[in-house]
Amino acid sequence: MAIHEKSLIDSDRIKTSDNLVLDGVDVSGHWNTMILPRYLSNYDTDFGRKIQTFTGAENVHRCWQCGSCTNSCTVYAQNTDFNPRYWIYLTNLGLKDDLLKDKDIIWTCVSCNKCTNICPKDVRPEGVMKALAHWLEEEGHTPHTKSSIFDEEFTGQVYETGRIEDSRVMINFFRKTNQPLTPPWFIELTKRMMKHLPVGFLMHMGLHLVFKPRTKSWGRTGQVLREYVREQKEAAHKARTMPKEAVHV
Amino acid sequence: MQKTVLVVGAGPAGLSAAAGVAASGLNVVLVEKAARLGGTPILSGYAKLVPSGEWAKDAMGRMVKRVEDASNVKIHKETKVTKLSGEAGHFTATLSNGSTVECGSVILATGFTHFDSINKPEWGFGSYEDVVTTTQVEQMVAAGKIACPSDGRVPERVAILLCVGSRDRQIGREWCSKICCTVSTNLAMEIKELSPQTDVFIYYMDIRTFGLYEDRFYWKSQEEFKTKFVKARIAEVTRSPDGRLLVKGEDTLVKRPIVIPMDMVVHAVGMDPNEDNPEIARVFGVGLEKHGFVDRAEHYTNTCGTTRRGIYAVGAALGPETIDDSISQGQAAAMRAVADLNALVQKTA
Ligand SMILES: Cc1cc2nc3c(=O)[nH]c(=O)nc-3n(C[C@H](O)[C@H](O)[C@H](O)COP(=O)(O)OP(=O)(O)OC[C@H]3O[C@@H](n4cnc5c(N)ncnc54)[C@H](O)[C@@H]3O)c2cc1C
Ligand code: SF4
Ligand code: SF4
Ligand code: SF4
Repeated sequence: MAIHEKSLIDSDRIKTSDNLVLDGVDVSGHWNTMILPRYLSNYDTDFGRKIQTFTGAENVHRCWQCGSCTNSCTVYAQNTDFNPRYWIYLTNLGLKDDLLKDKDIIWTCVSCNKCTNICPKDVRPEGVMKALAHWLEEEGHTPHTKSSIFDEEFTGQVYETGRIEDSRVMINFFRKTNQPLTPPWFIELTKRMMKHLPVGFLMHMGLHLVFKPRTKSWGRTGQVLREYVREQKEAAHKARTMPKEAVHV
Repeated sequence: MQKTVLVVGAGPAGLSAAAGVAASGLNVVLVEKAARLGGTPILSGYAKLVPSGEWAKDAMGRMVKRVEDASNVKIHKETKVTKLSGEAGHFTATLSNGSTVECGSVILATGFTHFDSINKPEWGFGSYEDVVTTTQVEQMVAAGKIACPSDGRVPERVAILLCVGSRDRQIGREWCSKICCTVSTNLAMEIKELSPQTDVFIYYMDIRTFGLYEDRFYWKSQEEFKTKFVKARIAEVTRSPDGRLLVKGEDTLVKRPIVIPMDMVVHAVGMDPNEDNPEIARVFGVGLEKHGFVDRAEHYTNTCGTTRRGIYAVGAALGPETIDDSISQGQAAAMRAVADLNALVQKTA
């Protein structure tokens, strides 16, 4: 097979030899590069169901591969390797190895939901992108992402006090992600806030950083909430890891 | 004793039903809301019909003449039924022109409404003059000239987008309109015939040229008329600085974004339920199915039945349908109606 797009081929399948003799004919020179054929040898038929157990991906099986999500996608416009249609196909057929090749870009979905608005089958591709990113993280294929760390800090504060303090969320988030506490954009944001927000409000925010106010009668609510979320997550995780005969989704 | 069947709608289905009843010797009252008979193929000016290749005005013309020439068919044009009382065997219909009709049974052949492309704004209809519908291209073919509406130039490239207003949950249209694939592959050939220098591209998700339409339309269009088929559902149609249209999407087979210049973009519009259906359901006391078409009874032994005894439905009133099948159903419903009246005669005798 002639090579039209080397970039599309896995590098370990391109074989180049200085001297090549095929059927007794010396084809060294022009024809010295060969691609090893790649065969799909099996489907992981349980994979689609597994992804469906993540919130947002319930409709992934509906996809008929029209391409509307991809062609409307904000990220695809910047990077044509970001292809929700393709990944949804891989998910439904259970071609996990191919999906893993794109693990480093799947999470870059910006949740604009253009895909969701255009999808004629109501697959909700945005939810599938999130589900795939969560699955990659859960299985250890990708590191704990910054956005997960942010989410944890955010919900952690809700459990604790029944409310969030923006500045505390930001500071803790910077700390946990080893970022400087005062990146230039944050300084700029703070400056503008000081310029436009009433002084009383700013003092309020400052005080709250120190005193950590709680929502009135929050009491055990946070604990109960935390417990509930944990149970739900565990149940979902269990559903994913059980053999498919054992669960009915 | 009733010897009259009321037929509502004078498209292919209604004309066929009227002719069938009339041929059996019973009387027909045919009520049509438009000023002309012949249904959508005539009212929307279709060109050559699929699969016969006959001009719509000739084919429908023969159907109209057969009914007009029958002495036992009374025709009311620009008329609707406003009220129906009684029951199977003894209905009384009140018409909008003031007259009343005593009839034993009713055949609804009220057809469909074209999908209005304005409801898919991203595909450019209403924003750009050179974005048109299959109905408009039918009219161009019938007039013998393919030209861009904006400036009258002959298009170098035409894109036909399939499934516009069909198979789309976003706009609540979960049905396939059945005939638009065949009509579109045929239109591609007609465009090429009138304008050999024009290249036609069809953007598809599936090609549904069912049954014998596969080789006669799909393959012929591809093989003899060089129509190009691209597997992509288009994201949007925009205009390039030089005034041509840009068709944007993902070619799903090469996994690449496409931005292709076109001179004319054609929407293969689908078949919506007749916009009169809520009124029809109320006046005739029949149910509608979940998409808004007339609900049909169990088909095996209650062929062409609706949810109300003595009222039959045929053609595109029941769902997207072809002309040929609408005609067959018209004859079938005529048979049912006549059989009903005969049974009544036997009972009273
Ligand atoms: C662009 C396009 C091209 C097509 N080309 C073909 C083709 O080549 N071959 C083919 O087989 N099919 C074709 N079709 C499909 C074809 O149009 C339908 O199969 C056909 O029109 C159905 O016939 P009908 O009699 O059921 O309904 P219609 O043709 O819609 O006729 C219904 C009649 O009822 C009348 N009516 C409606 N409501 C009322 C009311 N409340 N009271 C009184 N009268 C009423 C209407 O005015 C109309 O005259 C095409 C469709 C489209 C959209
Ligand atoms: S939500 Fe994500 S996948 Fe969907 S269009 Fe936006 S960036 Fe693309
Ligand atoms: S738009 Fe919906 S149906 Fe089409 S490819 Fe994307 S997810 Fe699948
Ligand atoms: S017939 Fe073809 S164009 Fe029409 S709705 Fe069905 S698939 Fe789409």
